[in-house]
Amino acid sequence: MAVFSSSSSSSSSSSSSSSSTSNLLLLLLVSSLDWLSTRGSVFVMDHMTSSAPVGPHFTECISREQETFRCWWSPGGFHNLSFPGALRVFYLKKDSPNSEWKECPEYSHLKRECFFDVNHTSVWIPYCMQLRGQNNVTYLDEDYCFTVENIVRPDPPVSLNWTLLNISPSGLSYDVMVNWEPPPSADVGAGWMRIEYEIQYTERNTTNWEALEMQPHTQQTIYGLQIGKEYEVHIRCRMQAFVKFGEFSDSVFIQVTEIPSQDSNFPFKLALIFGVLGILILILLIGISQQPRLMMILLPPVPAPKIKGIDPELLKKGKLDELNFILSGGGMGGLSTYAPDFYQDEPWVEFIEVDAEDADAAEKEENQGSDTQRLLDPPQPVSHHMNTGCANAVSFPDDDSGRASCYDPDLHDQDTLMLMATLLPGQPEDGEDSFDVVERAPVIERSERPLVQTQTGGPQTWLNTDFYAQVSNVMPSGGVVLSPGQQLRFQESTSAAEDEAQKKGKGSEDSEEKTQKELQFQLLVVDPEGSGYTTESNARQISTPPNTPMPGSGYQTIHPQPVETKPAATAENNQSPYILPDSPQSQFFAPVADYTVVQEVDSQHSLLLNPPPRQSPPPCLPHHPTKALAAMPVGYVTPDLLGNLSP
Amino acid sequence: SWSLFFLVSVVWVVLVCLLFCSRLLSVGAAPICTNAQAGCHALSLANLFDRVIQHSARMHGISNDLHSEFEQYFLPSKNQIGRVSRNCHTSTIFTPNGKENAQRMARQELTEVILKLLVAWRDPLWHFHQSIAHHHDFNNFSANKALEMSDMVHELRKGVEKVAEKMQMMGIISNSVSSLASPEALLPSDSAEWRLMKDYDLLYCFRRDSNKVQNYLKILKCRIVPEHGC
Repeated sequence: MAVFSSSSSSSSSSSSSSSSTSNLLLLLLVSSLDWLSTRGSVFVMDHMTSSAPVGPHFTECISREQETFRCWWSPGGFHNLSFPGALRVFYLKKDSPNSEWKECPEYSHLKRECFFDVNHTSVWIPYCMQLRGQNNVTYLDEDYCFTVENIVRPDPPVSLNWTLLNISPSGLSYDVMVNWEPPPSADVGAGWMRIEYEIQYTERNTTNWEALEMQPHTQQTIYGLQIGKEYEVHIRCRMQAFVKFGEFSDSVFIQVTEIPSQDSNFPFKLALIFGVLGILILILLIGISQQPRLMMILLPPVPAPKIKGIDPELLKKGKLDELNFILSGGGMGGLSTYAPDFYQDEPWVEFIEVDAEDADAAEKEENQGSDTQRLLDPPQPVSHHMNTGCANAVSFPDDDSGRASCYDPDLHDQDTLMLMATLLPGQPEDGEDSFDVVERAPVIERSERPLVQTQTGGPQTWLNTDFYAQVSNVMPSGGVVLSPGQQLRFQESTSAAEDEAQKKGKGSEDSEEKTQKELQFQLLVVDPEGSGYTTESNARQISTPPNTPMPGSGYQTIHPQPVETKPAATAENNQSPYILPDSPQSQFFAPVADYTVVQEVDSQHSLLLNPPPRQSPPPCLPHHPTKALAAMPVGYVTPDLLGNLSP
Repeated sequence: SWSLFFLVSVVWVVLVCLLFCSRLLSVGAAPICTNAQAGCHALSLANLFDRVIQHSARMHGISNDLHSEFEQYFLPSKNQIGRVSRNCHTSTIFTPNGKENAQRMARQELTEVILKLLVAWRDPLWHFHQSIAHHHDFNNFSANKALEMSDMVHELRKGVEKVAEKMQMMGIISNSVSSLASPEALLPSDSAEWRLMKDYDLLYCFRRDSNKVQNYLKILKCRIVPEHGC
């Protein structure tokens, strides 16, 4: 009836939709009232039934396993019907069009229950129940009808138990796996019933049950239970896709107390704390003490280009021109020890110190190793063949810059031997030689190259020239003329010229001494074999027997063979001193050619720039094979020297 | 260089196509094998049963939802169970009404019953969906469910047919041609009876029948292949 009323109201509302909104509202109000009235009537009726004497009625019919079912009734307010047998149950099973009412197959008057066993139970078939009195009076206006599958309430699951899954790392919560068995009455195995389960849990002695999601399996995990609290868990089930739940099972209590597992964590935490504290204290101590050694060890300075005496800014910015200028001695400081100290605030900066003497030696070595020097190497007494160059010599790769010099280690000894040999025959330069030998021997040992070195002036003056320069002439004073243009060379040459004049003029020992003294400061190395450069002064020296011993400072010239005094030995000895074509007097003015013509290379791998004068043979080297000298050089010969050269 | 690029891309596309086509062919070439040849991807009977049972469970769930929705629209009578005066059009189909009856029934018969039920509901559900969709009282949600329900009946029938085929192949049930070849013959004679029924009654009947189908399938499965899930 409520349905009809609602439908009528809806139709009326639809028909009057075109009319005014007030009518519509009124109708809506009426329909809602109607709806409410029906609801209210239900409520009222309930109220009435509760208040007024209610007739006998069925309380509930339940099936536990979809195979049997029971119905319970109550006499209601009719207490005169409460005695057993006053009310009878009749049912109608609508499995055929002409079915009839039957009485309850099995009574249980104590419980006021009617039990339908398997034979009387049919699923999917509507049943209608009736309560009748003694005199076939039916007490219900409407039958209580149902189908069995809709009244199924399964029994609660059995064997509910739990196992601890894990405890959280914080030790405050844990997870629990709950499992159970399906109710034994429900035939799940045959597939007759498909059950889904619902677990509910709560803290003990509270009633806010928390329900987990329903699922058909017989186990479930409860997450996030707290340690120390006691929980109550129970379970119920129902048929899938149906509404009615069964009863709850008996509760199971879960409680997990705190496990004393702090022993494993405790030392770890303590160790961590101590470690962190220790590191902090160490850092503080280091910061406070500020010891430079410690700072150096712990925080080593970042290497940066640092050359003593040169402003680091130049190095950083890469100003090569200025650097060149400074390094070549243009500035005030240069690389001397009394250069301005740019690194005062960095006491731990260490520079590679280069000694003055060692510097000489280093330079000497460098000069020995330079290509020009190598070109002018003294002939090495390797063998008797000529022009072999460096082929037969073992190329001994040096450890600096990989330049392989044609050095035969055996020659090392031979050099010394030759030196000794040159010194032996009582040459005037014995003293010098001895000094030289003394000085040179270590040098030889140090370097593997024959000692051919030139230097202009002292170390100062040497620095004032370019790194690489061709020696074009050797001054009688001992100065070496490099490429033209250098002022210092001018000075040197002037002084040399003066000396020359002095020498020429006086020819006394004093002058020689002077020159010799001057020579002291010069690095003049002449190959013991006599194929290196020799200065004019040397030549003159050789001509005049010098009696003054050469002081040991610096290098001295060694010229085992007098140039002019023994011309006859020239032919015997190929130790021919080379004389630069330029005269020492005039050479410093005239631009000297950087490269002179090499006339030939003799057997000792020495370059003959000019044919040696016949009158300057090395007499003290008898084992040196004589060599026929080449013809006169063409060009590059000044007229002054021409006289000297002419045989 | 452009021609080369084009050529390379064409070759690549061809290769990819070959790869995919081979995959598709491999999948398509392995339907449920009738003779269990080697190389066929044959589903086991247990798997087939699981699928149809899942399907029927879902179908029953939808019918249950729709039924309870309808109960909200059409206010229930005092009696929570509702009216029982309706007579479902499938009542003429003999169906076992209890567990023992269902278990006692022959497998072939049970399969036939299931198929009969499914066939009987194909048309009524389609019309139900149509009426729901055009009725402005119902929202789209109900209409979609009705459509899904009618599709499911269709699919479930095909699935059960496949199961029956497999069972016949395995010799579990005998080869009776009539039940499978022309399922339309299974329809009750007065098939138009359902047109007289109201929507709510249709739903009620279908809910009942879907529960039957689900139960019968489960019983069949646990009888024939009781490995797991029983």
